[in-house]
Amino acid sequence: MTFKDQFKFVRQNLKKNKSRLFMTVLATAIGVAFLIVLASVGFGLHKSLISDMMQNQLVTQVEIYGKEDSQGLKNEDITYFEEMDGVEAVTRRNELAQMPFFQLDDYTSNTNAIVTHFPSEIKADFKLASGRLPEGENEVVVGYHFTESLIKNGANPEKLYDDEGNINEDYVYTDDLLNKEMDMEVIKLTDGKETKKTISVKIVGIAEKPARDWAYEEHVFISEEILQEVEQFTGVMRGASEMYEGGELDANQSEEVYDYVKVYANNVQEVEGINKALEDKGYMIYSIANEMKQINVIFLIMKIGLIFIGTIALIIASIGIYNTMTMAVTERAPDIGIMKAIGAHPRTIKNIFLLESTYIGLLGAIFGTIVAYGISFLVNLCVPFIIQTAFDEAAPEGFLLSYIPWSLTLISVGICLLVTVFSGLRPAKRATKVDVLKAMRREL
Amino acid sequence: MIEVNKIYHSFEIGKKEKKTVIPVLKDVSFQINKGEIVSIVGKSGSGKSTLLNIISGFIKPTDGEVKINNQTVTELSEGEFASFRLQHIGFIFQNFQLIPSMTAFQNVELPLTFKGMNEKERKQKTLETLERVGLAEFKDHYPSELSGGQQQRVSIARALVVNPPLILADEPTGSLDSDTEKSLLAFIKQLNEELGITFLIITHDEEVAEFGHRTIEIVDGHVLEEVGK
Ligand SMILES: Nc1ncnc2c1ncn2[C@@H]1O[C@H](COP(=O)(O)OP(=O)(O)O)[C@@H](O)[C@H]1O
Ligand SMILES: [Mg+2]
Repeated sequence: MTFKDQFKFVRQNLKKNKSRLFMTVLATAIGVAFLIVLASVGFGLHKSLISDMMQNQLVTQVEIYGKEDSQGLKNEDITYFEEMDGVEAVTRRNELAQMPFFQLDDYTSNTNAIVTHFPSEIKADFKLASGRLPEGENEVVVGYHFTESLIKNGANPEKLYDDEGNINEDYVYTDDLLNKEMDMEVIKLTDGKETKKTISVKIVGIAEKPARDWAYEEHVFISEEILQEVEQFTGVMRGASEMYEGGELDANQSEEVYDYVKVYANNVQEVEGINKALEDKGYMIYSIANEMKQINVIFLIMKIGLIFIGTIALIIASIGIYNTMTMAVTERAPDIGIMKAIGAHPRTIKNIFLLESTYIGLLGAIFGTIVAYGISFLVNLCVPFIIQTAFDEAAPEGFLLSYIPWSLTLISVGICLLVTVFSGLRPAKRATKVDVLKAMRREL
Repeated sequence: MIEVNKIYHSFEIGKKEKKTVIPVLKDVSFQINKGEIVSIVGKSGSGKSTLLNIISGFIKPTDGEVKINNQTVTELSEGEFASFRLQHIGFIFQNFQLIPSMTAFQNVELPLTFKGMNEKERKQKTLETLERVGLAEFKDHYPSELSGGQQQRVSIARALVVNPPLILADEPTGSLDSDTEKSLLAFIKQLNEELGITFLIITHDEEVAEFGHRTIEIVDGHVLEEVGK
């Protein structure tokens, strides 16, 4: 008997008891939908978290804290990083160890001062919104949000922010920043006595708005020379205001040391190799890619657990299929007897019944999958709304509680077919065992 | 065509301690030649159906062998026997054994479907065979919509459709009235003469027995062969 004929035969048989077919398919569809929707929460949360992390931190970025048994990162380390395979750029920054006050006309900002190596920053995608890079030693570039840190002198601290946490409009600096002169004020503490020093700087450039929404950049990029000037004034490393142990300016230490070094990979695929090479060399690193690996493992376990629980629903549904098939075999025993008598091979009989249970399983899987996609869509539609009303806070952008990737659909349909074929095995086997003579005497 | 060699058969009834063995066939041997119509007669309960069921492969004999077309069928597995039946044996049953949920056409078509014949050829062959038994116009009727004689002709069509060299029939006229019985017997004769099909027919009906070439009588599980007319 050809497969096509078997299939036709099965469809004819199924038509004979439509309500039973419907109920069995319904049970299976519910099982499949439950499995998919349940597991889709694992997939959704994972995806949301990962995309959130990707948004908040550069995946291609590797931060390097230092090296085992070594005094900070030096130029030789930087050269080594730059020559590694897959490395796009290596940025290095040093920070002034005190927060200077910047006076611009009637406004003051208390923010960080940073020294950086602009060529490598630019390789790592640093851009200016306006102006140019500094050339002279008193020229500075300010972060995109620097204006927001400028507060009018004599502002009432209690009225500084409105109810929503924004700076009071009256105190905001609105003028153009470019080519403005500022006074940078640093202090030195000796035995509790404070001395001030003022250095005049000029804003020549404003950095571009950071790509990531949350990022807030109000720092000022000063030149290496200004940092040295402050160091000379305070007599402490990195220009800290007060002497601490080991903070003495070391005359012999002529070689430069960098506080913040970041390596940028050409692309995400390279990161793992770079991380491994750096770790093998004894560098202490932090990379979001490493973090993600652990998160992936945790979510994998979670997904397996959810799929396992969902499968239980399918196993319950398969009891329905088992029941339906057993009833079908009992009902059709006389027909089976006749078919065997006129020469149907037991294998053919078995195939027909297996095909029937598989067909039910497939119908259930198809409808269940459709329903699951529908539920998933609705859930994702409603959840931001629920979060909004319950917590009075917008759901994170691109947040998905439920996500159904193709792999989940395939796994679920696969499990469904496996379970249904399995539950159809015994009834099918029973069908082949129908005794011809008893069946023809209607004794079954 | 058929060789039955030293067939013994006994049924066991009851379970374990209460088990009793009922011997039904004892040392049954006979031969049937190609193209013969042979009747098997005997009292009710003498073992006629048991014998035919052994030849058909529905029962495995306790001992002995059956050869059909030089194939020792008693050695075949259940599946092999099913395939053998599909190729070589047609069946006519006392109560027709048609599948009630299928039309006359579908019932006749079924063995061809099992054979894996393609649809076009199958439909044509089925129609031809229904025409041969004179039921072409009833092809879309369900068994319940046909008379006993018509149902029996559908079942003959189902037996004929695969062109078997041998047809086995257990009391084929048992459920028919005497007029229908006569025309059925005439039809069997015709098939035998035109197509050379060998018939082995069980009956307790004198008329049926007389119409065959030869009669085998079973008495008490033994064979008493009578030479044909
Ligand atoms: N399945 C069975 N189990 C037990 N005894 C059976 C079975 N089939 C037939 N018999 C017994 O075998 C004997 C012969 O039966 P059967 O071959 O049907 O006789 P006939 O067809 O000649 O009337 C009877 O005594 C019957 O009771
Ligand atoms: Mg009988």
